[in-house]
Amino acid sequence: MMKQTKVLELQSETLDQIYTHAMVEFPDECCGIILSDGAREFVRECRNIQNERHAEDPDTYPRDARTAYLIDPNDLIRVHKEAETQNRPIKAFYHSHPNHDAYFSEKDKADAMAWDEPVYPGAAYIVVSVYDREVKTVKAFAWSEANTDFVEVHIYAKPHV
Amino acid sequence: MAVTVRIPTPLRRLTQNQPEVDVEGDTIESLIENLEANYPGIKERICDESGNIRRFVNIYLNDEDIRFLDGNATAVKDGDEISVIPAIAGGSSDDETN
Repeated sequence: MMKQTKVLELQSETLDQIYTHAMVEFPDECCGIILSDGAREFVRECRNIQNERHAEDPDTYPRDARTAYLIDPNDLIRVHKEAETQNRPIKAFYHSHPNHDAYFSEKDKADAMAWDEPVYPGAAYIVVSVYDREVKTVKAFAWSEANTDFVEVHIYAKPHV
Repeated sequence: MAVTVRIPTPLRRLTQNQPEVDVEGDTIESLIENLEANYPGIKERICDESGNIRRFVNIYLNDEDIRFLDGNATAVKDGDEISVIPAIAGGSSDDETN
């Protein structure tokens, strides 16, 4: 039986913001978190500290920020606190793939899991493909309990308000 | 002394689905030992074989990453809040490993 594809509704302004972030950070990966209070969305750009970790410990972190991201733990707690105190739960995470297509890589998948379970089973992961500072495609993925895997979800951009 | 520990979603099955639990302890290390006593299996998920916090696990004392405090030895006091939050990471091509 065909499973119905899930839909991730996003405000067009939200997509505009993450595209701009992806283009600004090019050729490095950008990363961030989207909060939503149900009516409004809040894009929280985060610092990608992959270059610092790579410089400190290249054996453990063989990639630099051109092919990897790691959200600054200080940004992560700040956004978590905002989500809790302002009642704006995490709707999605986003990052870019500079000079690569928009897919959910094995690394993306492995890093979205902890202890063999999805860390945020209710959140989507948005991947923006950027070539030469131009956004090429965007895709989103989310945990599917039925598939016990991440599956692509369709992005529906709500018209600009 | 009791501090509140916020548990990430994937570990809540070890805490009977409680998103936060109160635990006794005066350092992060002793908190983890007491968590383990109450919720067996939680320590091996947070720490590696040598007892170090796993690389992909962030632990915060209130809003501070304990990496920038005293790590495992960071002192905690009554009323503190500890958050355990897995890192958010990823990357593009699959032809490299990390």
